[in-house]
Amino acid sequence: MEDIPWGLIGPLVGLQLLLAVIGLISLSKAESVRGPKWLWAIVIVLGNLIGTIAYFTAGRKDV
Amino acid sequence: MRSVWIFYQKEMLEAVRSYRLIWIPVVFILLGIMQPLTAYYMPEILGAAGNVPPGMLENYEVPSAAVVMVQALGQYSTIGMLVLALITMNSISGERYSGSAEMVLVRPLTPLAMVVAKWAALLTVLVLALGLGASGAAYYVMELIGPLSWGGISSAAGLYGLWLMCAVSLTLLFSAFLRATAAAFLGLLSAAAFSLAHSLLPAWFDWTPAALPGLSAAMLLEDGGALRLGPLLSAPLFIISCIAGAALLLRRKQLPG
Repeated sequence: MEDIPWGLIGPLVGLQLLLAVIGLISLSKAESVRGPKWLWAIVIVLGNLIGTIAYFTAGRKDV
Repeated sequence: MRSVWIFYQKEMLEAVRSYRLIWIPVVFILLGIMQPLTAYYMPEILGAAGNVPPGMLENYEVPSAAVVMVQALGQYSTIGMLVLALITMNSISGERYSGSAEMVLVRPLTPLAMVVAKWAALLTVLVLALGLGASGAAYYVMELIGPLSWGGISSAAGLYGLWLMCAVSLTLLFSAFLRATAAAFLGLLSAAAFSLAHSLLPAWFDWTPAALPGLSAAMLLEDGGALRLGPLLSAPLFIISCIAGAALLLRRKQLPG
């Protein structure tokens, strides 16, 4: 574990988290989404990259 | 001209409010930097997954910097293009089906101005996402694998962007007369059919925009490979005809069916 180059992996993890946070903020502010909100929250948190893409393209009504 | 600018500002405001201007660049950066990381750490990733026959990992060679950069840009033609088609599909279709196109167009705004403004807003998002994504990928390739020339990277990314913009413009055209999902589906399908035709019959389709990804790869692999004029001229022509076609269709039918 100690030889993991965090300088390179760090941004990857950070961006993944940022994307999930943007998704969750957008979800919490949205008036209505396709399907239940709690389900999209699970998809965003567990599905990271693909989950958030799915939420923004399929879940939001205004894309 | 002024109405185009005003409508463009409105489109960009919408891109900010729908988080499009943030999440698409982040997705492009992630796609771009994942490729060099997986290429470099492939033995570790496979080893951690288990079930690797002994001796197989010793033979793994990290691909050259140029090859990894080409693969990173290649990511944008799959997931990247899917994302672009999905954000484009609603642009005109949404306004027609919600009835707002008819309301907007009674004002002194021509259908052409509306289409051009929407296209320019999509171009802004694409340039931002591709610019950041390709720079991220290039940085990781140079850190992990080896040097690349920034000139080659920027021309390769520019050619790739031109190809993606052709697909976006085509989806925009479909969006002017179809439902959103049908527009995205047809846009992606025609882009795929176009590249397939080019890879099957390269001699016939070499002057079309479908040759652009290959040209982009050549810029990196052959370090300034020969630029062919055919695709460079046909792509802007194709984009302009898509915009003109979308404007004509929108003039004829502002409301669906």
